[in-house]
Amino acid sequence: MTSTTSSMGSLTPSRKRSKWETNDETESPSHPQPSKRRAKSRQEDARTPSVSLPSHPVSWSLHSSYVPPRTHHPPIIPSRSVYSYERLNQIEEGSYGIVFRARDKQTGDIVALKKLKLDEEKNGFPITALREINALMTCRHDNVVGIREVVVGDTLTQVFVVMDFIEHDLKSLLTLMPAPFLQSEIKTLMLQLLSAVQHCHNNWILHRDLKTSNLLMNNRGTIKVADFGLARRYGDPVGVGGMTQLVVTLWYRAPEILLGAKTYSTAIDMWSVGCIFAELILKEPLFPSKGELELLAMIFKLLGPPTSNSWPDYSSLPLSKTIALPSPQPPQFKQKFPYLTTAGIDLMMSLLSYDPESRITAEEALQHPYFRESPLPKHPDLFGSFPSAAAGEKKRKVFDSPSAPVRGGDYKLLTDFDV
Amino acid sequence: MYPVFYPVASLSQIQCTPSRSDGLPEELEADLRAFGCKLIHEAGILLKQKQVAVATAQILFQRFWFVTSMKQFGIGDVGMGALYLASKLEECPLRMRDLINVYDLLLQRTAHKLSNSNTEFKYAPMSYFGNTFYDLKDALVVAEMQILKRLGFNVNVVLPYGTLINYMRVLGLTNHEDACTKAWGYLNDAHQTPIYALYPIPTIVSAAILLTVRHLNIPLPSTPPNCWWELFDAEWEDIWDICGHIMRLYRKRTREDEERVWGMLSKKDVRKWLEEHPAEEQADMPPS
Repeated sequence: MTSTTSSMGSLTPSRKRSKWETNDETESPSHPQPSKRRAKSRQEDARTPSVSLPSHPVSWSLHSSYVPPRTHHPPIIPSRSVYSYERLNQIEEGSYGIVFRARDKQTGDIVALKKLKLDEEKNGFPITALREINALMTCRHDNVVGIREVVVGDTLTQVFVVMDFIEHDLKSLLTLMPAPFLQSEIKTLMLQLLSAVQHCHNNWILHRDLKTSNLLMNNRGTIKVADFGLARRYGDPVGVGGMTQLVVTLWYRAPEILLGAKTYSTAIDMWSVGCIFAELILKEPLFPSKGELELLAMIFKLLGPPTSNSWPDYSSLPLSKTIALPSPQPPQFKQKFPYLTTAGIDLMMSLLSYDPESRITAEEALQHPYFRESPLPKHPDLFGSFPSAAAGEKKRKVFDSPSAPVRGGDYKLLTDFDV
Repeated sequence: MYPVFYPVASLSQIQCTPSRSDGLPEELEADLRAFGCKLIHEAGILLKQKQVAVATAQILFQRFWFVTSMKQFGIGDVGMGALYLASKLEECPLRMRDLINVYDLLLQRTAHKLSNSNTEFKYAPMSYFGNTFYDLKDALVVAEMQILKRLGFNVNVVLPYGTLINYMRVLGLTNHEDACTKAWGYLNDAHQTPIYALYPIPTIVSAAILLTVRHLNIPLPSTPPNCWWELFDAEWEDIWDICGHIMRLYRKRTREDEERVWGMLSKKDVRKWLEEHPAEEQADMPPS
């Protein structure tokens, strides 16, 4: 254990031993014996070795790809202890819990640990946390933040979700970066987002809280959808078991939820994708409203009020009677996005379309001509990198005078890690 | 769609379960597992819970005993926790008090059967200010958390019913109403065995179909190289083993065997039994 810690010392200057709770020195004894193997490889090793993947390629290639052999299923493994990780710094705190940056003591990997708040639970393990863990486990995808495992602390109320550490979230990146993303970059980001959303929908998961602050981005131009705290499974027919209307952060909430629709489906995620698309272009939120009514007014202004043509079911929605529609007026997309091509405007309008039935699906959006016209999507490797606030990095002052004490500046940069 | 990788027990977990390393005979562990699942099933019916939640609970319950000994947790508590957890997973959550009342009734009924009295069973509701509720509630919360923790929070469960319908279609058996009901019934009964924690769904469904066609004398191509189960990537040995697990449920049991199980619903009872039967431990252990 100590060897890994010291060898990694150059990466992060944490001289002090990390502590998960208080300053007790009982950490090392409770730490499980380092087995030199990662959890992942342990899973595979636990299988009988004679049927491991590379040695018997033939025996299972006869199988249908939908029926993987028994030995490809993971074994039943209990959660590891949180002491397998060393805490580095706190990333953020929300209503759901606290997120830490941490290092796997065995592999040295940097991860994000999300500590769930379980203290005030009256109904056992919260169903929202269950949904989140389940959604992350079923929706494994390049553009969905990877869940590594769930570890536990000393008592039953300490549960940590271990996820891949991603340097940025798109929200703070958009506010910090000097110029908006280029069209080619926006296309790459949108393609990634759409393919993640498509994957979730294919696996019967609704995200229900897509927004820029829930999109993480690494320094290699890849975005990952995160925070499945509101996600849940949906069925066909939708809405079995009743679904709450209290979903999606206001600015990204689809009009059918605002008007009290009893059932909703994948289309609500697509509306949020439309809001994100606009935000990437504008470098600021599309509908920064204070309340539901203001949001509806903003939507009506951009899209024009709904008509029986653009939204046939409008009048049957519970809250439609309570709303006075403004006088008819054409959509304002062209004025709002003057530099977007016709294909881009068309995609935007298909995402931000009133009728959830005719709103574009993730699958259709991926095929949209917008992504095939010039400028083509930029390769993720060509994206610039940024200093990561989550890792405690500060932006270097580019225009500092040359005589400034550089060493001192560097020193400050390093000590800022310790929180 | 994509193959779903739900967890199954590893070879070493199958060869010696934690309960068996604590000295519980293989047969007795199987009977206790089956009875625990029966309680889950009965509770599900009394609570009018959806079958998907009940089946999910039974699968989680079976997985749990591959990583935990019955000396540490009782089958009653874990069954209750599994049903509570599975109901959340299947988006039909239960009220804690309803579940606890129902389990209280089931436990009382089992105790009544065990007492051998000739009087008719009459449920005595727990007192409003008594400790029974809080004891059971604590046990429920702990059981739910322990299931999650010991299964590594991987509570992914795939149920067999959709696969059964597909396979019956492929085999042209859907018009045979008897066959459909029977196969469906075998899959349900199989939830009282550990097979859902041992084999992939296609193999289990093939076994249910095999039992069905054998019992109803329906001929299907079964001589190599034309064996119908190979369509579904199932191995004959596995199917045969699953059939054994299922058929074991229907064997005649002595009153003594049943009473032994009824008296071991809590970890205390299991510990007491283990203390009273230290010698049997060796004799009943199969050579592994």
